Amino acid sequence: MRPWIRLIFPHSYMDRQRRAGLLFVLPAVLFFSCVFLVPLLQSVVGSFYRTRPGGASEFVGVRLYEKVLADSTFWTSVSNTVSLLLMSVPTTVILALAVALGLNRIGSLKWRNVWAAMYFLPFSASLVAAALIWQWIYDPVYGFLNFLLALIGVPPQKWMQSLNQVRPSIAVVNVWVRLGFDTMIFLAALQSIPGEYWEAASIDGAGAWQRLRHITLPLLNPQIIMVCILELIFNFKIFDQVYATTQGGPASASQTVIMLLYDTAFKYFRMGDASVMAVFVFFTLLVVTLLQWRIFRKPVEY
Amino acid sequence: MRRGSAGVLVILALVVTALVLAGPAAAQQKKLVYWTHWEQNPDFNKWYETKGKEFAKKTGYEVEVVTIPYQGYEAKYLAALMGKSGAPDFFNGMAHQWCGQYDFCDKMPDDLAKLWDENIPKYMLEMGRWKGARYGVPIEHGNFQMMYMNVDLFKKAGLNPDRPPKTYDEWLAAMKKLTIVDAKGEPTQVGFALRHKGAPVGITDKFLPFAHAFGARMLSPGLDKATGFANSPEMVEALTFFGNLVLKDKVANLALGNPEDAFDQKRAGVIYRESWFFGWVKKNAPEITFKIAALPCGKTCPGAGQLFPWANLVYKNSPNKQMVWEFIRFISNAKDDLEQHQLQGILPVWTVNQETQYVKSRPDYQAVKDMLAQPVPPTYFHPKSNELATIFGEAVVGVLYGKGQPKPLLDEAAAKMDQTLKD
Repeated sequence: MRPWIRLIFPHSYMDRQRRAGLLFVLPAVLFFSCVFLVPLLQSVVGSFYRTRPGGASEFVGVRLYEKVLADSTFWTSVSNTVSLLLMSVPTTVILALAVALGLNRIGSLKWRNVWAAMYFLPFSASLVAAALIWQWIYDPVYGFLNFLLALIGVPPQKWMQSLNQVRPSIAVVNVWVRLGFDTMIFLAALQSIPGEYWEAASIDGAGAWQRLRHITLPLLNPQIIMVCILELIFNFKIFDQVYATTQGGPASASQTVIMLLYDTAFKYFRMGDASVMAVFVFFTLLVVTLLQWRIFRKPVEY
Repeated sequence: MRRGSAGVLVILALVVTALVLAGPAAAQQKKLVYWTHWEQNPDFNKWYETKGKEFAKKTGYEVEVVTIPYQGYEAKYLAALMGKSGAPDFFNGMAHQWCGQYDFCDKMPDDLAKLWDENIPKYMLEMGRWKGARYGVPIEHGNFQMMYMNVDLFKKAGLNPDRPPKTYDEWLAAMKKLTIVDAKGEPTQVGFALRHKGAPVGITDKFLPFAHAFGARMLSPGLDKATGFANSPEMVEALTFFGNLVLKDKVANLALGNPEDAFDQKRAGVIYRESWFFGWVKKNAPEITFKIAALPCGKTCPGAGQLFPWANLVYKNSPNKQMVWEFIRFISNAKDDLEQHQLQGILPVWTVNQETQYVKSRPDYQAVKDMLAQPVPPTYFHPKSNELATIFGEAVVGVLYGKGQPKPLLDEAAAKMDQTLKD
């Protein structure tokens, strides 16, 4: 009898177990298929068609790939995204690690939780609301930041209205938003490392730096890799903050791939071109994530 | 007892379910849903609901107004119109986009189209039309840039707001007088607040009056070519002049945010905006004393041109489209036109209303007349106008931010626009 028939009409205890397992994962599989797989497949298929919303679609082969991948605007947005990512990801991960190490040293559980909650708050705030507040902070004329700088005699900066300062300014917002989430992951991981390891190292004469380098960081390797991957994905797909603050400006200096994708799909209604960009983003993230996973991940045993 | 309670609960649940399911359906049957992205004109929008109540007495159909935030409104419109369910019965949009690029619009009945064609100013005839057929009702007169001048700042600078600059040489001289810089050379008050933020399509819209005054046009008369037009010597000259306002003459400043805010905060002496802005300033910054004048002329006069010919369009898949046309017919008269526009402080559309006391008492009365007396400027009512204007706007903003010189940026933009036109 075929296995799938035995799943429907189980004959043995093992068949019933398999069926139970299938039923348990079925909702997740269905959800994943509807929300992720189907749109992904639609994007891949859509990237080969020139689609007119409300009208007919025309199969155009790889012409849209040729067009999009030869478009300077597309590569500018990729470059903006990568530069934003390079500024945000290492800063967020290093800062989150530092904060988590600091929080881990706080003996009082109550105060540790208070500090952790404070770091986590920005993550739970609405990105758009946060972006609007930052827009005010960065305002060249009325901004709080320029007001503070003026107190120490620094001339006003243009921040989000400067070609050179816009991406670092957005990167700071990203770090602010993501810091709490990453810190929580690191803190949870730190608390699961048995204290005897550090104790033994101290007895053997290891200093703080040696304990960090040879015990803490290797044991945090899975979490560091995971956080790096999550940050990479988050920053590559960044949209909300940029859309709410600069709308990709000034002069496209902060236009990211996802912003361009959104505009292409929903302002210019070129669904095929937007699908090509979506496929590009998906495969880029897939390849980079797999590479990160393969190269940097080391098995950890406590 | 337990069985009785359970029975009551089941019946209650059934009744609630029936009400939930039947409620929206019943409501939808008797409502004409109108979508608009005119966030800045809430009273104008609400008038449809008020009038809808009157209409309901005759037909049973009320009007529900849904205001869609302007930012990203296209995506929401598109999703709804493509999806059919949840789509509006009629909506505020541009005919060349929603009827031209897509086929979402119902054609206006001939008699109604005739009524509108006979009763709106000639320059508005193409608004709401696509390929000669009328689909929509134009809703905005005076939808072209005019010069708003802060009277107090003009007087402080030794300028006479009653004698506004007529040429761009005079205009630039006035802007220089209006600009005040601090000890570090940073302008604390600028002559002209220009649009440099936000979607490039809006930046194009605000730059085009300059381009037209320099004798340039963004696209060929047939709207099929950009090279030779978007990068013509006249356009390069216009963009050089525009860029110099920030980079060389320093009468405009990129540190200021939206031009409207700069004007309302008395940080700018002059702003270019459409007629509706008068009502907006009156409501949001009533302490500002201002006058409105026609735009100055360069080689030629810019004329009453616009990039966004807003019109009320009827969704062709709406089950209520006949009733929507009846509603539009119900409000298609001079009295309602005046009442609705006056409520918001914007210009009415019907020709007969242009000489009413309300319009004559407005500060833009003469400016509108003067603008309409200028030569008719080019229009760009192309299905891909948004995308074309975005590409062009990127060149404009690139110059403002010193990313490059006007000529190479316009050459690049023109080539991209041609590619878009070909696609």
